[in-house]
This record gives sequence, C-alpha cells and structure tokens, in this order.
Amino acid sequence: MDADELLVLVAGGDQKAFEDLYGLVSGPVYGLVRRVVRDPAQSEEVAQEVLLELWRSAARFDPRRGSALSWVLTLAHRRAVDRVRSARAAGEREQREALRSGQPAFDHVAEEVEAGLEREWVRRCLERLTALQRQSVTLAYYDGYTYREVAERLSLPLGTVKTRMRDGLTQLRKCLGGVA
Amino acid sequence: MSFVARLLRREDLHSLAAPYALDALERAERRRFETHLSTCEVCAAEVRALTEDAVRLAWSTAAPPPAALRERVLSAVRTTPQESAGVPARARAPQLPPHVWGNQAPPRGRSVRRPLFVPFATATAAAALVVASLFAVQANEARDDLAAQRARASEIANVLGAPDARASTGEDAKGRRIGVVASASEGRAVVTLSGYGEPPGGRVRQLWLMRPGAQPRSLGLFDGDTPLIASGLDTSSTSLAVTVEPGGGSPQPTSQPIVQLALKSVGFGE
Ligand SMILES: [Zn+2]
Repeated sequence: MDADELLVLVAGGDQKAFEDLYGLVSGPVYGLVRRVVRDPAQSEEVAQEVLLELWRSAARFDPRRGSALSWVLTLAHRRAVDRVRSARAAGEREQREALRSGQPAFDHVAEEVEAGLEREWVRRCLERLTALQRQSVTLAYYDGYTYREVAERLSLPLGTVKTRMRDGLTQLRKCLGGVA
Repeated sequence: MSFVARLLRREDLHSLAAPYALDALERAERRRFETHLSTCEVCAAEVRALTEDAVRLAWSTAAPPPAALRERVLSAVRTTPQESAGVPARARAPQLPPHVWGNQAPPRGRSVRRPLFVPFATATAAAALVVASLFAVQANEARDDLAAQRARASEIANVLGAPDARASTGEDAKGRRIGVVASASEGRAVVTLSGYGEPPGGRVRQLWLMRPGAQPRSLGLFDGDTPLIASGLDTSSTSLAVTVEPGGGSPQPTSQPIVQLALKSVGFGE
C-alpha cells in the first residue's frame, strides 16, 4: 500500500495503517528535518511533532489533489524551518558576527554527501545550476533562510533572489524530471 | 492607496511563489501570500508545481531516524485524538501548510512527480557510476531518438528503484571500472563501464552472463558509456564478464574477459 492509501486509512483512525505509514515516511521526514535543523536532539523533537501531526491532521489530506509524500514533506519542511528560525533569532548576534567576518555562504554542493542514488542525482542537478541559483535555492531550502536573508548573504537585490529561486527550481525540475 | 500602488503590491505578491514553495517567507508575509493564493489561480498553479520541485530536494536527504522515535510516536498516537475532516479550517492547528492551493483542482491526469529512486538505495561508488552514465544518456538525447532514450532511462530507474536493488563495483589497476546495480527479484541488472575508451578497429565490448556448468550467455553490446540493461538473470547467475569482440558481437566469447564481476554481493549466485 502506498502513502496515499495509508494516509486515507489513518484519517479514519487506523493505527495499524499509521505504523505502516511511519515505516514509509519517517526516514524522509527525519532526514529532512535533520538537514535543516542540524542539531540531533532538536531534530528528533521536530520529527516527532511532525509525525504526530500526520496522525492528528490526516483528514486534511485529499488524494485527488496531490501526493501524500509531497504533503508530508511540505509539512516537515515548514516545521523544521520554523524551528531553525526561532533558534536563529535567539542566537542572532552570533550570526551577524559570522557574516561580518566574511564567512562565505554555505554551498551544499561542496559538502561531502553520502552517495545514495537519489542524492547523487539531486547533487548533480544542483551542480548544473548557476552558483546564484543553487545558493538561492539551498540557503532557503536546506538552511531555512528567508529570501530576504538570502539576499543579504549573497549581496543581491530581493527581486534577483526571487528570480534565481524560481529559475533554480524550474531548472531542477527539467534535470530531475529527465528520466521520470 | 492608489490604483497603481495596489497593482504594484499585487505584482509584488505574484513574485513570491518560489520563495513560498521554499518556505522562504517570514510568517507575516507567508500569511499575506496565502490569502493571495486563495484568489490568484496563477500563483496557486505555480506554487503547486514549484512545491513538487522543492520536495525533490527533500527526498535526497532521507536518513534513518533514531530507533526510540518509533516507539514514542506510536505510543503517543494511541492517546492522541484526531481532527475530524469537518472541523473548519480556522479551528485547526495554526500554520499548517495548506494541502490544496487555490480553489481549482489541478488538471486531470496530472502525473505526480515521484523520486526516481528509493531513498535507502545502496550507497556505493557503483551507484554514482550509474548516475553519471544516466547523465551521459541525458546529454545525448539531442542526438538519439528521444523516446527510446527515455524508455531506457526509465527502465534503468526501475531496476535502481527495486526494493532489493544492490550495487557493486570493481576496479582494475589501471583505474578502469565496472559497476553493477542489480535486483534479484526483477532478474535484472544495470551495468556500466568507465575508463575503457573505445575498443580499437570497429570492435565492440560484449557483456556475458556466467553460470556454473553452462555456456556464457550474451547480455548485449555496450554502446559507449551508456549503461547496459541485462535482463533474465536468475539466482544461478554467478558473474558478469566483458570481452572485446568483432563488430556486431559474437555468439560465444572469442577472447579472455577484460573484466569480470561476481554477482554474489548483489544477491545472485546463492
Ligand atoms: Zn498571484
């Protein structure tokens, strides 16, 4: 049974279906939260909130409108970003210090990633973007920065960042969709 | 506010679809844009598409959660009440991303993009090799028949995505490599070679299936760096071998293998 069917059963209070759903989505949910939040203990907390929220709000899912996995990961990402931003607001001064010391914006392609297949594919597609497209997309998605913060970090006008994000995602779609 | 100012404001809102899909709006702006989404079908459609793209970025980060998390979540579920579908949106948990953007349903028959590969596919150099070759396939699309390339690529993706797909790689002293990703349940394997260059004099590289007590069986000819899909493998298959053969290939190998790879590590020959 796929996540879409399971989520419909979960909405009806089926705990066994939830266990199966957990098996399918806990890895992607935890991995994504961990990528954004970084801190293992906090990541676990956020992942737990997200998974419980799936149980509570499963009735909101409408399989005619899109895939369950997209919905689940969108929710997980939203929660992870909210958490990392509150944590960041608390330590904002340090952040400004780091910026002033001229630390370059983090570029994920340079990071050594474990080469899973999907991972490898995404990495290669990210490599194909221009540096500004890639940084605009990854600083927002993987690091949880708002587009204003991204603009500040990359010293770009707001409009440029919005465009780079859009172009970056569209290019990714072409590259990732190449064999789907 | 003047008409022009209002128009500019709306113009400005239209440009927020990508930052929204990436969750890159501040809370207040996010809410403002969500209000806009319920009235602007253009942005709603764009957000739907861009969100699917963003989710592809999520898939590649999958990681096994701590074991203790499962028990905690499952026991919490036993005592946590669920929302019913009939509860009005405002009464629900705040800040939930809307599952549906806008009022119109997406076009019928819209295919939902899914990740190409299962998130926990074996991570090895062979995997990277296959992906590298797939990229070569993509780059050559302009030259070759697009439909055929896509069919082959999606066949490859199927093998790679099989739940029991496993990968293995072999490298010789000269740095030439053979990579295989195989699924025993599908009886298929994707094989790639790298570093071998073009065989001289119009000759070809041919892939063979080796089984104990049986003649080698041809699995096909390599075409440059393009991955070769081998099918009809059964559990008695013990290894793969590559030989250089005259143009068009041979019914049986006519030379010593240039490389051989045991299949045991990918679930065969047991
Ligand atoms: Zn709009």
